[in-house]
Amino acid sequence: MMTQRADELSDEQLMTRLTGPEVEAALSKLYDRYSRTVFGVGLKILGDRSLAEELVQDVFLKVWRSSGTFDSSRGSFSTWLYRVTRSVALDLYRKRAHRVRPVPDGDPYLATAQDSSAGPQEVVDESWLSWRVSRALEVLDASHKEVIHLAYFEGLSQREISERTGVPLGTVKSRTASAFKSLRRELALGDTLREANR
Amino acid sequence: MKCAEIHPNLAAFALGGLEPEEAAEVRRHLASCPGCQKELEEIETVRHSLEAAPPPAAPPAYLKDEILSRVRAEGLSSSIKEEPEESSSLEEQTGSSRTSRFNRFKNLRIILPSVAAAAVVAMVTLGVFFGFMREELPVATIQLVPTPQETAGLKGYWGVAEIRPQPSGNQQVELKLNNFEEPKPNSYYELWFVSGERRISAGSFTSVGQGETKVLLNVPPEARNYHTLLITEEHMDNDTAPSQEVALKGEMP
Repeated sequence: MMTQRADELSDEQLMTRLTGPEVEAALSKLYDRYSRTVFGVGLKILGDRSLAEELVQDVFLKVWRSSGTFDSSRGSFSTWLYRVTRSVALDLYRKRAHRVRPVPDGDPYLATAQDSSAGPQEVVDESWLSWRVSRALEVLDASHKEVIHLAYFEGLSQREISERTGVPLGTVKSRTASAFKSLRRELALGDTLREANR
Repeated sequence: MKCAEIHPNLAAFALGGLEPEEAAEVRRHLASCPGCQKELEEIETVRHSLEAAPPPAAPPAYLKDEILSRVRAEGLSSSIKEEPEESSSLEEQTGSSRTSRFNRFKNLRIILPSVAAAAVVAMVTLGVFFGFMREELPVATIQLVPTPQETAGLKGYWGVAEIRPQPSGNQQVELKLNNFEEPKPNSYYELWFVSGERRISAGSFTSVGQGETKVLLNVPPEARNYHTLLITEEHMDNDTAPSQEVALKGEMP
């Protein structure tokens, strides 16, 4: 049991606990916060579910093993984790070239994956924006996340969202507007591409 | 319409989520309002960024357990490396009673009936030694040792199973069987992971009899919830049902 609840700790505070007795609780919380982003960006870069799963596993084991190299004065945990993810993904991307992989028709995840004709560096460079957008979406509160998911990813109109969720139309509109404000704020924050590429 | 009435609709407008008459009103207002045009431009920038969003997918639930299990096992292996003579009390070393996928093997008892003339049931004493974790090394080595009274006439009869979780989630099972008799003519062995009436085959193999037989098999991630291991002797006939001739059995607590 952590002396302080893991939920209340920042990413950076959790990183300091990866070398002590609270390692599992700390790593578990970091996983909860970031695994969807690592997996989603992995799917974009690698276009392969099993490789994206391998990426998630390798990345979080590396976070644990390399926690001593993280220096919060040099940037946020998110940016550091992005660099770890990018490095592991590049290795796996090269490995993919040697694999024969069956691609099921109509897999919605692969449909959005990067065109493999792009070079690895090119693909990975584009992943920084994916990472930031994913992080911005992840930190939205649940009601904002829901409205963005339904409006953008499922393409529902505001009225359709209201009908599906039972939330009044006016509330759906105000939540959509608030969600966009939050996304704009989150996307404006954080490190630049140059810092991410350090 | 006033700007204050238009603003809450701009995000929905950018997403194409307004009803046609509402969208037409917004358009009319925008045509004569530079402030709202600017606001819409910023909203469009965010909407454009969403195109870079990764697919809204989560990794499979078992992956987190896999990672934490590996962290736990690697931590344990470090302790064991430091104090190898303490390896018989892993739980005391961890100070925890948590049941990991690896600890599950701790009290594994596998009955080894003879595949020789008389059916001999062998009890397995389990020793779990966590190897120093590297990608290629096993996370658990299971030593299968028949009890003395059941080893009569079976000199040097023993088995070892090594488990290696794969990045894909599969588990690789390496069986090393010593003096494991060859199957009967037109027969072969098959390893099963069993749970109640359900079973998953890890694959089929044969044995060289005298000496060591080494077999490499794989089971999917779902097999982690199948706590009984069976090696059956299967016959090449038209019966596709698993054979009842169990040559090896193990129960995971």
